[in-house]
Amino acid sequence: MSLFDLPFEEPLDPDHNRPDSAQGKPSDSAQGKPPASPNKTKPRAPERRVHTVSELTARIRTLLEEELFEIWVEGELSNCKVWNTGHLYFTLKDQGAQIKGVMFRSALRLLKFTPKDGLRVVARGRVSVYDPKGDYQIICEHLEPGGLGALQLAYDQLKQRLATEGLFDSRRKRALPALPRKIGVVTSLDGAAIRDIIKVLRRRYANAHVVIRPVRVQGEGAALDIARGLSAIAKVKGVDVVIVGRGGGSIEDLWAFNEEVAVRAIAGCPVPIISAVGHETDVTIADFVADLRAPTPSAAAEMVVARKDEFVSRIDRLEVRLRGAINARRHRLESRLRALDARSGIASARGRLAMRARDAGELTHELRRAVRASLSTRERRYQTLRLALETFDLRRRLAGLRTRLVAGDGRLASVVDRRRHALDARLGAAVARLESLSPLGVLARGYAVCWNADRTKVIRDASSVAPGDRVTVTVERGELACEVKGRV
Amino acid sequence: MSDTTIKDFEAAIAELEAVVKKLEDGDLPLEESLRLYERGVHLSRFCHARLEEAERRIEILNERGHLQPAPAGLTAEDDSQTRR
Repeated sequence: MSLFDLPFEEPLDPDHNRPDSAQGKPSDSAQGKPPASPNKTKPRAPERRVHTVSELTARIRTLLEEELFEIWVEGELSNCKVWNTGHLYFTLKDQGAQIKGVMFRSALRLLKFTPKDGLRVVARGRVSVYDPKGDYQIICEHLEPGGLGALQLAYDQLKQRLATEGLFDSRRKRALPALPRKIGVVTSLDGAAIRDIIKVLRRRYANAHVVIRPVRVQGEGAALDIARGLSAIAKVKGVDVVIVGRGGGSIEDLWAFNEEVAVRAIAGCPVPIISAVGHETDVTIADFVADLRAPTPSAAAEMVVARKDEFVSRIDRLEVRLRGAINARRHRLESRLRALDARSGIASARGRLAMRARDAGELTHELRRAVRASLSTRERRYQTLRLALETFDLRRRLAGLRTRLVAGDGRLASVVDRRRHALDARLGAAVARLESLSPLGVLARGYAVCWNADRTKVIRDASSVAPGDRVTVTVERGELACEVKGRV
Repeated sequence: MSDTTIKDFEAAIAELEAVVKKLEDGDLPLEESLRLYERGVHLSRFCHARLEEAERRIEILNERGHLQPAPAGLTAEDDSQTRR
């Protein structure tokens, strides 16, 4: 009340000594009896005239209403509140003073913007007094935004200053870790934000390790709390990404994220940091200095774990290509062997035959080893995949559905078995085929090769030798020196 | 998984990509191909292991700088949804 009493005393007392000024008017308006009599006593020496409170208040009101019936005033809105009558009550203030105000529903309806705390406005109206309380207030007929409110101004000033320092520079932005070890969260435990974050992390990254630092996110001291929370969480071993934020609210609720101490702590965070303040449309200075701005807390959680999904499919694709490449390599080797066999007939020179035979033998052996090695790595790979599927895929995708997990595991095992058997069979067939084509294989089956005496020519025609000629016969193991006795 | 030949997850992925590309591109000697293949399998196992490494845990960092388990209320709703 004292604030309201003060202005009354000063203008009123001098008025008593200046009869012509304000004094005359209330009597002209002849609103009530009380103003009439003091007016007449005025020219004479001051005489004690005792007013009732009502009389005095009525005089004050008359004075104010006469003098200030159509005024414009500029100031910052605060304490805005729309009562259930639909009328807006507010306080208009500047650095040195404040005045209460009301805007009736009918006038309020015509406004294009929503009067909010912190907004600088120009109001048009008249000043009146509410007798029962002795309050004077401005009855506002129209409001328009005028310039910037203090909050907006503070926001713009800090933003400008930090921009000059280069804190919004895109070169400062760090990439998020490919795969976070621990995810730090700095927010309030009471709000919806932390629940949203946990829900998303659990859903998309079942084994997420989250460390939460609870802080106040609005009100006096919140910004400092956020700054301290950030420095504490960055010290936790393994935390390699941080989400800082809160759920939606009014501009005042989000204000801590526009305060220098919090903003600087975000800019100085030693690990990559995502800001997630309010809703999509709320932009705070925290958003400009963070490495990444998430439109909502849930979105921040998605940004952290989307990376994991990405990697799982990337590695899977690489594995497919890896297997494809080694299989292609093996197929090329096999067809080269086949070509080799087809070219090197038994008709070649003995030396060449022996050489080829050795080649073929070696290659067969090598191929066998290659296929076996590939088979065993594949088998290990399948075991790994099975493990991975058990511990990750199935749990993640079919979380909680134990029965399906068991069934899936069984199917998987039989798939692995079938694949292994198929590979075994393919290996056997490939080796058998190679052996059947190999010159050594032919000899092993009991065939022999007959050469002329100087071993330059294979005897294909019995008439090319005569009785008494010497020939050499190669069998699987060793050679025989023979003499032709005659033709059969 | 501690493997001194692999720096970290990002390096492993990069090397795996290089291995696959090399295998796909060149007609390498058999021994080299097999060596690369083994390495590739090893790398992809490392990556998968690393993807599964993190523990499923939610902790609170209190004022004194100590870690303690998060109150059940914070995660209860989510748990019940998982079970459903």
